[in-house]
Amino acid sequence: MSSSQGRRGSLPGTSRDGEGGVLSRVTSSISQSPVVYRGKRAASEAATVTKKLLWSTGRAAWIAGTTFLVLVVPLIIEMDREQQMNELELQQASLLGTSSPSMAAPAPPK
Amino acid sequence: MGSSVSHAATLPPPPPPPPAVGLTGVLPPKTEEKGETKVDWLNLPCPVPFEEIQREALMSLKPELFEGLRFDFTKGLNQKFSLSHSVFMGSMEVPSQSSDTIKVPTAHYEFGANFLDPKLMLVGRVLTDGRLNARVKCDLTDNLTLKINAQLTNEPHFSQGMFNFDYKGKDYRSQFQVGNNAFYGANYIQSVSPHLSLGSEVFWLGHQRKSGIGFAARYNTDKMVATGQVASTGIVALSYVQKVSEKVSLASDFMYNHMTRDVTSSFGYDYILRQCRLRGKIDSTGCVAAYLEERLNMGVNFILSAEIDHRKKDYKFGFGMTVGE
Repeated sequence: MSSSQGRRGSLPGTSRDGEGGVLSRVTSSISQSPVVYRGKRAASEAATVTKKLLWSTGRAAWIAGTTFLVLVVPLIIEMDREQQMNELELQQASLLGTSSPSMAAPAPPK
Repeated sequence: MGSSVSHAATLPPPPPPPPAVGLTGVLPPKTEEKGETKVDWLNLPCPVPFEEIQREALMSLKPELFEGLRFDFTKGLNQKFSLSHSVFMGSMEVPSQSSDTIKVPTAHYEFGANFLDPKLMLVGRVLTDGRLNARVKCDLTDNLTLKINAQLTNEPHFSQGMFNFDYKGKDYRSQFQVGNNAFYGANYIQSVSPHLSLGSEVFWLGHQRKSGIGFAARYNTDKMVATGQVASTGIVALSYVQKVSEKVSLASDFMYNHMTRDVTSSFGYDYILRQCRLRGKIDSTGCVAAYLEERLNMGVNFILSAEIDHRKKDYKFGFGMTVGE
């Protein structure tokens, strides 16, 4: 049993003699203990869960990003343009010395 | 007696009010806002036509989304007569039984002529794929209107036609419809209060021996419109539109289909700015859509349409231009 498991790495000071050495017995008992076995399983499950979490976070981020792009970005651009035009009109009105709010642009498309 | 009458006749008319000075000339005169005006139950306003009961919600939430290129050119020859040329190149969805969407690339040119008169409106469109659309709206008398809708196609048994007779009363409207496939329908809508109007409709489809009845209610004030519609075909549709400001309105819509147990809800916004009109909506089926009409120049409009269906992974983007009034 201990020969098939071998020694884990080369621990410094490991005595390489004697299959029934104390250190090899200790390391093999550690590596086969249920705690370590459960720990390994938990680690692999955690890796799977983390991968899935990353994947679904990525998908959610993609959906949120494209939705934002389609719904919100044109709105921001248009509102910015509207504000710029308002400021320009205000500037022009103050330059010309007359307030011309009645110089309304033709009605927007319906 | 006679002297007092003649005396009253010689009195000069009262002097006109002094012209408004300064800001009061610009601002509208203060009207009675706070006081609850007494409801005049005999003079209720005329309600909107029954098929337009959800008009505001439909305008905001269902723009004409398309995929591909669209170009419309309208040329007015006269004050009443105009011609239109339209080109469309893009993919059209073919309804399929499986869940996959099948898109077929199509392209067509459409020629149209419109005649607009206060009493008569004629609109005709011919497409290169063999379809002909015609619409007639004629005011027979002050209150009676005749509308005809016809669509003729090359394929047999796909042509449709519909005659509508509308009668507009003082605070009610009624409509009678006759269509092909032995379709008969009637609807009636009545204002019951200055803000609330109720209506109902019945229809009978001869070919499939189907009949149905539906009820609708519409409550509108200056700032909001709420409608509800129930039909015996198992459809319940509610909608609510709130006018947040002069330029912005928000709309929401809920539809429940009892037969297929389908529930859909959508929310949308509608921004009407000076140079553009932007409509966006998000759906409970995972659909996000936006429609932008931007005025580049006098009479030149640029259109962008986008629709993303996250569930089916179906993306449709289109652009186009509309030239002419």
